[in-house]
Amino acid sequence: MNFINRAIKNVSRRMSKTVLLILTFFLISNLVIIGLGVSKASESAKILTRQKMRAVVTYGLDYNKIWQYADSIEDEDELEEFYNNYPRVRLEEVSAFLQDERVKTANTVNINMWYNDSQNSLDFVHLNNQAEEDIDSNGGQSCWYDDVTGEQTCETYKNPLFLIKSNMFPDMIEFEDGEYQIVSGRFYTQQEIDNGALVCLISENLAALNGVSVGDSITLAVNYLAGYMQQFGVTAEDLENSFEVIGIFSHNQPITPDAPNFNYCYPYENPDNMIFMPSTTIYMAQLPMQQKQFDYYAEMYAGTDKSDDYYNDPANRPSEENMESQMYINDVTLLLNDPMEVEDFVKDYQASLSQFASLSANNEEFNRLAKPLDTLSMYANFIVWLVIINAIVIITLVTALTLKTREYEIGVLLSIGASKFKVIAQFFIELAIVAILGFTLSVVSGSLIAKKIGNTVLEYQIASSEVSQDEDYIYNNNGFDPWNTDYTTDISLEDLVAEYEVRISPIIIGEIYVLGLGIVLISVIIPSFMIMRYNPKKILMNQN
Amino acid sequence: MAEILRLENINYSYIDGGYERQILKDLSFAFEAGKFYTVLGPSGSGKTTLLSLVAGLDTAKSGKIYFDGKDINEIGLHKFRRNDISIVFQQYNLISYLTAVENVMLAMAETDNELPKDKKNVAYNLLERFGIVRSKADRMVNQLSGGEQQRVAIARSLASNVNLIFADEPTGNLDTATEKEIISIFKELAHDFGKTIIVVTHSDTVSAMSDQRVLLKDGKLTQI
Repeated sequence: MNFINRAIKNVSRRMSKTVLLILTFFLISNLVIIGLGVSKASESAKILTRQKMRAVVTYGLDYNKIWQYADSIEDEDELEEFYNNYPRVRLEEVSAFLQDERVKTANTVNINMWYNDSQNSLDFVHLNNQAEEDIDSNGGQSCWYDDVTGEQTCETYKNPLFLIKSNMFPDMIEFEDGEYQIVSGRFYTQQEIDNGALVCLISENLAALNGVSVGDSITLAVNYLAGYMQQFGVTAEDLENSFEVIGIFSHNQPITPDAPNFNYCYPYENPDNMIFMPSTTIYMAQLPMQQKQFDYYAEMYAGTDKSDDYYNDPANRPSEENMESQMYINDVTLLLNDPMEVEDFVKDYQASLSQFASLSANNEEFNRLAKPLDTLSMYANFIVWLVIINAIVIITLVTALTLKTREYEIGVLLSIGASKFKVIAQFFIELAIVAILGFTLSVVSGSLIAKKIGNTVLEYQIASSEVSQDEDYIYNNNGFDPWNTDYTTDISLEDLVAEYEVRISPIIIGEIYVLGLGIVLISVIIPSFMIMRYNPKKILMNQN
Repeated sequence: MAEILRLENINYSYIDGGYERQILKDLSFAFEAGKFYTVLGPSGSGKTTLLSLVAGLDTAKSGKIYFDGKDINEIGLHKFRRNDISIVFQQYNLISYLTAVENVMLAMAETDNELPKDKKNVAYNLLERFGIVRSKADRMVNQLSGGEQQRVAIARSLASNVNLIFADEPTGNLDTATEKEIISIFKELAHDFGKTIIVVTHSDTVSAMSDQRVLLKDGKLTQI
């Protein structure tokens, strides 16, 4: 008849006391399950939504800080010096981020719109929509601009056909997360970036339309030969370059006729007409045009009032040698391996950022939308702790009172040589048995109640917190926005709520049992001190 | 006969109303094995205090108690109670949510003494020897009469296979017939099983049946 047996017999043979205690634990456990269920559902809705979002961190310049700093400079020379050394995002800073094993890749995207060449026209993938009809009927749009002499000129504006998306690194977020997939060939390498190699990746539809394969060349024009270009001495040959197709990609954003704004979608807005190449390639392709433009102004302004240091300094002339210093990075989007690492990543680097740099987890909107869930989780946790504390007080009190009525039994056990530890262990086991029974019964009822209460409370919380959300403009179709270099994922309150499901998982059930045993353990502490002070002689003398 | 319990210069006092009250004064006495002792004395003479000291439930202010030649403090009072002695109380001190046989097995679970493997059968047999048949042995103890409960308590005192059994007014709540029956059991235990029985009592009937009567008076024990 060891202490475990004694505990079992005490529980099974003192049924009225046992039933009352089971009922107490059952009620406690139901409240804890509701609290934990709601809290976990809120937390997991946030985690699941966060996991669906791209793991991106943006690095760039904080222009507010820059303007504020500039405004604070009173000395003109100092201000000029500041503008001459205007803060920039440096390539080496981005490269340093890429050394962090949490970072998959970085996008320093530049967007350009290019044209087909004058000779062997590369056909674009047609949508056969209103926008294309307009281009065909009038050859483009009229446009007014000031020419170099200051006179207003009007000439026919040609619509660009291809969207050139470029990057400074040999990988891109779009390709990393499967939005775009290389179906043949490869992405450009670091060496090709360093050399400004004339290489590109085109879509499989564009390749099929023009009968182009990997290894073939296509000719593209960085601009059309407008009148003002001819003034600079730019020729059609200066604008055209032959690019080797090193890769062909597919994408998951096809434009279909039922898309909103389909009719207003220009060829360059069709992802089939998007071409990827290194940023340095763009620079190299535009170099003849840029050089002639620079030389034109340098010559025109020489010896005049308009002459300034810029055109007199050869370091400012576009050239292969000056490429690195003349390529600017506006902002960087870093893709991390895990969306859950985003906030920690930002925290880790925040302290070491330069004066005007900014690193953002882009979670302001997410945090704002998640507020009702946070509040819900906070209240739920508060209830859990309140119930636990109350449970400890109640169970301690019940155990202490029970102990008084069982002094005699303790005296007998101690007189026959049972250790005080065994007596305490017996009390613990007795409580643990009833707690486990109460908690087991509450798993079913608690999960049903938790679901009902959890959903009702969330609805109330959303209604009372009045979370508003700006409606995004739907650019054309399936979320494809040719200009968008913002890689953060747009989320809505509905996304968060869709992930909110009060579910009593095995983990919660496990936690309930651990918590329950914890409550029992703590509740036994004070009575244990009482037992430790018991003197068997006193107890038995009083009895006798 | 061999000595089983020796008390040497035992002093015990407590504070009562701000005054120290000396209960036992330089008490020395030796109990022999296999004998049935009764300790007599007027009320307040310290009989129960003496019992609690020799049973390891309390400690003396000074002096030593030896069991089988070993100081019980060195054995450890806890271990001493578990392995070397048993106590039978006036109120039986059985555990109410256990059956008679389970109460007997309680002592078996705590002792380190070597016991037969089939403890439950041993417990049944012990109870049967003291007149508690199986059907009663499986009853909750509060469903038994006072005499039956005291028999269960005696059976429990034997269950842990100890040689020294103390009893504090074991027949105080029993009728004369049952009292005689219980004392016979004690005699039998002493004479047939070699156990040493030390009974604290007021009862002349009980003391008359003992092998040795000892008087506690003025804090000292003397043989009568």
